[in-house]
Amino acid sequence: MLFDYLLIAFRNLKKRRTRTGLTLIGIFIGIATVVSLISLGQGLQESIIQQFESLGSDKILIQPGSGSSLSGQTMGSETNKLTDRDVEVVRSVKGVKEVSYYVYGVAGIKFKEVVKYSIIIGIPLDSSKVILESMQNWDIEDGRDLRQGDKYKATVGSELWRGRYFPEKVGIGNKLDIGTGEFRVVGTITPIGNPSDDSQVYIPFDVAREIFNKKDAVDMIILQTDQGVDVNEVKAAIEKALRKYRNVKEGEEDFNVATTEQLLEAFSAILNAVQIVFIGIAAISLIVGGIGIMNTMYTSVLERTNEIGIMKAIGARNSYIMLIFLIESGLLGLVGGAIGIALGIGLSKGVEVIISSTLGITYLKAYFPLYLIIGSLFFSFVVGCVSGVFPAKRAAKQNPVDSLRYE
Amino acid sequence: MLKDYFIYVAKHLLKRRLRSMLTLLGIFIGMAAVVALISISQGLQDAVTEQFESVGANRIIIQPAGAIMGPFSSGLSNVKMTDNDVNIIKKVRGVEFTTGITTSIAQVNFKDEITQGYIMGISSDSYTIGFVKRIGVLDIEQGREFKAGAKYEAIIGNIVASQFKARNITVRDSIEIAGKKFEVVGILKSGGQGFSGSGIYIPKETAKEIFNLGNDAPFIPVKVADGYDPLTVAEDIKQTLRRSRSVKEGQEDFTVQTAKEIIDSFKQILGIVQTLLVGIASISLIVGGIGIMNTMYTAVAERKREIGIMKAIGAHNHDILLIFVIESGFLGFAGGLIGIILGAFISKMIEIIAGMAVEGLTLKAHFSATLIIGVLLFAFALGSLSGFFPARKASRLQPVDALRK
Repeated sequence: MLFDYLLIAFRNLKKRRTRTGLTLIGIFIGIATVVSLISLGQGLQESIIQQFESLGSDKILIQPGSGSSLSGQTMGSETNKLTDRDVEVVRSVKGVKEVSYYVYGVAGIKFKEVVKYSIIIGIPLDSSKVILESMQNWDIEDGRDLRQGDKYKATVGSELWRGRYFPEKVGIGNKLDIGTGEFRVVGTITPIGNPSDDSQVYIPFDVAREIFNKKDAVDMIILQTDQGVDVNEVKAAIEKALRKYRNVKEGEEDFNVATTEQLLEAFSAILNAVQIVFIGIAAISLIVGGIGIMNTMYTSVLERTNEIGIMKAIGARNSYIMLIFLIESGLLGLVGGAIGIALGIGLSKGVEVIISSTLGITYLKAYFPLYLIIGSLFFSFVVGCVSGVFPAKRAAKQNPVDSLRYE
Repeated sequence: MLKDYFIYVAKHLLKRRLRSMLTLLGIFIGMAAVVALISISQGLQDAVTEQFESVGANRIIIQPAGAIMGPFSSGLSNVKMTDNDVNIIKKVRGVEFTTGITTSIAQVNFKDEITQGYIMGISSDSYTIGFVKRIGVLDIEQGREFKAGAKYEAIIGNIVASQFKARNITVRDSIEIAGKKFEVVGILKSGGQGFSGSGIYIPKETAKEIFNLGNDAPFIPVKVADGYDPLTVAEDIKQTLRRSRSVKEGQEDFTVQTAKEIIDSFKQILGIVQTLLVGIASISLIVGGIGIMNTMYTAVAERKREIGIMKAIGAHNHDILLIFVIESGFLGFAGGLIGIILGAFISKMIEIIAGMAVEGLTLKAHFSATLIIGVLLFAFALGSLSGFFPARKASRLQPVDALRK
C-alpha cells in the first residue's frame, strides 16, 4: 500500500524532471551549508574538548588578577602578582598532588639579523614540568627537552622550525638572541595547532625571570589534585588558603582559581553563541528552499487536478489524496537532504584542508557525528512534509466534479 | 510597446497569484537578511570610524614592541618606554603635543564590590590638562578635569560608572583603587575613544607612586601639528627613536602607529566578518533565484499554446524572450523592494534591541543610497538571470509543436 504511494510520488517527480531538479537544488544548497557549518563548529568544539581532556579534569589553574580572565592570559600589568610564596601556600593545601608554574613575557627574538616579538615561556626544570608540558601539549618533536642545569638553552615552537616565522628555518644548534642573552636551540616542539601558540619559545625558568625582571613572581600556577578527591573542594580550599595568606576578604580576591571544567564551559558558551548566529543565517536558505517545495507542490496539485478528480471518482478518500502529495513533498525534502549532507561533508572537509594549509590552524576539524547526519535527514524530511501540507490539503479538499471539469 | 509587455506580464503574475507570492517570498527573505546584515555592519563601521575621527586622524600612538594584546599588555614586554622617550618625541618636528600615559590593572572597590580596573595615569599639570581639554581626549560629560596638582582624583569611563550592582557611580563618589581612596571628579561621555569607556584616569604621579612604575611610559599618544602629514611625522619619530634607542631599521623595539593605520586594520577585521556573514546569507538568494527559475519553467510549460499563437501571428523569438525575462526580472525586482523594506525594519529592531542591551552603544543602522540601489539592481539582475534559461526555452519553441499541445 505505502509502496504504491511511493511509486506514484516517484513517477510524478520523474515526469517533471526540471522542476524536481530545481526544487532539489533549492533544498540541498541550504542543507549543505548548515551541515558544513555545524560539522566545522562541532569539530572545533571537539578539538577544544580534547585539549581540555588532555589537561585532565584533575587540574587547577591559578592566575593573578580578579575577575575571570577568559583569554587565559594575564596582561602583565596586574599589580597583584603571584609569587613563590603563593606556590608554597598552594602546595601545602590538602588534596594537592603536585604544583607547577611558569612565567612568560614578550621579547624580541633575533635570528640572523631579523627581530620578531613573540611570547617567551620560562618553564621550571624540575620534575613538576611534566604536568605543565602534558597539559599544554608541549611535546618534543626533535632534539631534547630543557633539563636540569640548562641556562641559555631554548626549545622552539613549530612556526619557527618550519620556517614560517623567520625568513629562515630555526634548527637545532642555531643561536637566538633573546633579551640580553644568546640561546642555543636544543629541541623543537610538536605543532600545537594555532600560529600564536606555535611561535612561542621556551627557556629555563630562572633565566626568563631575569630577562623579564620578574623577581619572585610567577604568572601561572598549575596543579594536579590527588586521585579521588573532589576538584571543586580542593579549589575552595586553595581559595581559602590564598585568601588567608594574601589577607583578602571573600569576594575581594586578587587572584583567580579555575578548574579545567570551568574554562571549558566558558569556551563552549562563546563558541555556541557564534555557531547559533552562523547557523541561524544559513537556516534562512532552508526556509527559502522549503518555500520552493511548497511552490512546486501547489503547481503539481494544479496540474493534476483532473487526475485527482478521477482518483476521487473511483473512490479515493481525502486522506489518500493528502498522503500522496505529502509523500511526494517529503520525498523531495529527504532526497534534497541526502544530497545536501554529501555535499556538506565535502565542503567542510575542503574548508578544513584550506584553513590548515594556509593559516596553520589545525583545531578546525570537520566532525560528522551520527546524530548530525540522521538529524539533517530527518529535518529535511520534515521541511519537505511541512512545506507540502497546504498544497496537499488543497488537493484533498477538491470537489471531484469540479476537478474533472477543470481544464 | 514596452508598456504592452509589462501589462501582459502583470496579468500573468496576477493570474497565478499564489505562485507569484511564494516566489516573491523566496526572494525577499534572503534580500531582507542581506540588507539587514549590511546595514548593521555598515553602521558599526560608521560608529568606529566616527570614534577614531573624533580622536583625529592627526594622532600617532607609540608603544613598546610586544604589547601584543593592547596597551594594558605592555607589562608582558621586556622592552620599556620611558619619559625619556617622551621627551625625545616631543622634539620631533611636527609634534604639537605628547605625553606618556601609564597603564596598570588593579582592583577597584565601590560599596564593597570589587572589579578589575584598567587604570591610566595621566599628567595633571596645567599644560597637559589644558591640552587634553582642547583636543578632547578626555571627553568629560559630568564633572571636571583634574585640578592642577591633584593627587587622589579619578575620572572614570561611563562603562565603569554603571558597572557596579549597588548603583551607578556619580561625581563626588569615592572609590578605592588598589586600596587607596579616590574622589570621582568626572565621568566620560559614552562612546568615548578607544578603551576610555572602561578605563579609569588618575593623576600620573599618584599612579607612579602606588604602582611603583618608575619613569615608565608604556602608552604615548602624539598630536601632529596642523599642516604636517601624520605619516611623515610618524617616520621621523621612528627614525629619531631608532637613533636614541640605538636599534637598526627592521629591528625596532617599539611600534609607531598612526590613527589611520589603526582604523584601517579595524575596518579590515570588520570587513572579513561582514563578508563571511553576508556570504552565508546570500546562499538563500541563490536558492531564491532557483525558485524564480522553477516558477518560470512552469510558466513556460503552461503557456506553451499561447506562445504558439503569438508566434503564429508573427511574434519574433526575441519578443518571446523579452516577455519572459521581463516577467522574471520583475519578480526579482519586486522581491528586492519588499526585501529592502523588511530588511530596514529588521535592522531598526536590532538597533533598538542592541541599544537597550548594551549601555552606551551608539549603533545606527546605515542605509546608503548605494545599498538600496545596489540591492534593487542586484535583485533585478538575479531575477532576469534566473529567468533567462526558461525564457530561451520558450523563445525557441516551434510554433507548430507549441500549438499542437
